[in-house]
Amino acid sequence: MRPTDLVRTLVAFVVLVLLHYTLRPLLGWRASPDFLIIALLLIAIRVRPGTAALVGLVMGVVADSLQPHAFGAGALGMTLVGFGASWLKAVFFADDVFLNAFFFFLGKWAFDLVFLLAEHRLGGGELLVEILVWSPLKGIVTAVFGLVTLLILRPILRSSPT
Amino acid sequence: MHPAARIYGRRDTIFLIACIVLSLVALGLPDRMRDPLAASLRRSVLAPLVSLQRNAELSRRAWVTREARAAARDSVALRSMALNAVDAENRRLRLLLGLGARLKWGFIPAEVLQGRGVGEEYSVTLSAGARAGVQPFSPVVAPEGLVGMVKTVDPTMSIAIVWAHPDFRVSAMAADGSAFGIVAAHLGSEPERYLLEMRGVPVRSTLKPGTLIVSSGLGSTFPRGIPVGTVLGEIKTSELWARTYLLRPAVMPAEMNSVMVLTPRRSTSGVEGVWQTGRGLDSAARAVVAAGDSLQRADAERRAAAADSVRRDGARRDSVRAAAARPQGAPPATPDTSAPVRP
Repeated sequence: MRPTDLVRTLVAFVVLVLLHYTLRPLLGWRASPDFLIIALLLIAIRVRPGTAALVGLVMGVVADSLQPHAFGAGALGMTLVGFGASWLKAVFFADDVFLNAFFFFLGKWAFDLVFLLAEHRLGGGELLVEILVWSPLKGIVTAVFGLVTLLILRPILRSSPT
Repeated sequence: MHPAARIYGRRDTIFLIACIVLSLVALGLPDRMRDPLAASLRRSVLAPLVSLQRNAELSRRAWVTREARAAARDSVALRSMALNAVDAENRRLRLLLGLGARLKWGFIPAEVLQGRGVGEEYSVTLSAGARAGVQPFSPVVAPEGLVGMVKTVDPTMSIAIVWAHPDFRVSAMAADGSAFGIVAAHLGSEPERYLLEMRGVPVRSTLKPGTLIVSSGLGSTFPRGIPVGTVLGEIKTSELWARTYLLRPAVMPAEMNSVMVLTPRRSTSGVEGVWQTGRGLDSAARAVVAAGDSLQRADAERRAAAADSVRRDGARRDSVRAAAARPQGAPPATPDTSAPVRP
């Protein structure tokens, strides 16, 4: 990655992290968008899978500090999502709107799945409802917001000519 | 998305395994190690983000509750406005209770029903009627003074004319009794329409502004001593043999909410001392002075009686002493009347 691209990606990353801690609480939705996942996916498709896993671990640990009861669950989820996104980027290589949306949806759902299973807080029907109803809803919302974010940040994220 | 291709190698696998292990270690950390770690992250890296999140949540709460807050503010404002009205009504009812306590008997409390129509500005409908004991030509009074007179009586309500009515007349006098006249509505232009005038005051009687005018009791309708108004000044008229004075009414139209109707028996027996008029104050002062005098007199009489008893007691002791000192068979001592008396 060229230094210019790195700076642009970092700017987009910071913007998304800020959105996660400002726009999300401002909306206050039950199925709210996860800008941290969008930011992680944005980084993951630009770096090696190992680096993406490391970024995911750091982001997860930092985010988990706000919910100590599940400390480590977010880190595990983001590690796997970051690594998986970077590894699967060849599959979603095409710059297609729906593919990108599906990418965000899948990332968010996978994260929630790992998170919910790792934290051991919910069980039985409640866990099923969360995995099958709320997580997909959050995934859809995250996909929509991810697409909007990509459209807005397109001038920043466009690769500089080689 | 960025289409750059990446190579997946052993290093990535090692990174992945290491990250997963670290995550599992974090998951399995005991509380005493996990909490300080989470706290240090919250206080360092996450502090500005947490602050942002708190501000965002406060903004959202402010936005969500804006309507509730506006409604609460409006309710409080409305309640405070109602409180003023309740306070005024409470004050007025207290005055009315005071009037009832002073009258003691022979009165019927009534509410003045609002909503007078055009052309009916000078009459009011009262909530008490014949069933309550109201009779035509009964005086209608308020704590401040005279309101008017009952004109028509129905079983459950009655209609009274107030002092502003063109037909209203009351025989009145200065509170000190120095001048008499007839009080009627002042039929002037709008601002002065709600004033009274006292006509037929003898030329030799001059009333100063601020003099209290009360009903004189002449005639059979209004008993003596109900405040009618206060003198504002003299009006120049073509009548050379009498003076006319402009009065400020004792009861203003806005104060005509709760009133009392005096029964004919109460009117006949009088209402002296119910309203604190000048005459009433004078008589009260005289009563206080008289009471002081009687107390002084009683005290002087008590002292004189005490002195007499002491004197009598002394004389009795002298006679006992003299009897004890007298020899057996000697005649009892008698006052020496032959001794010369010093003038």
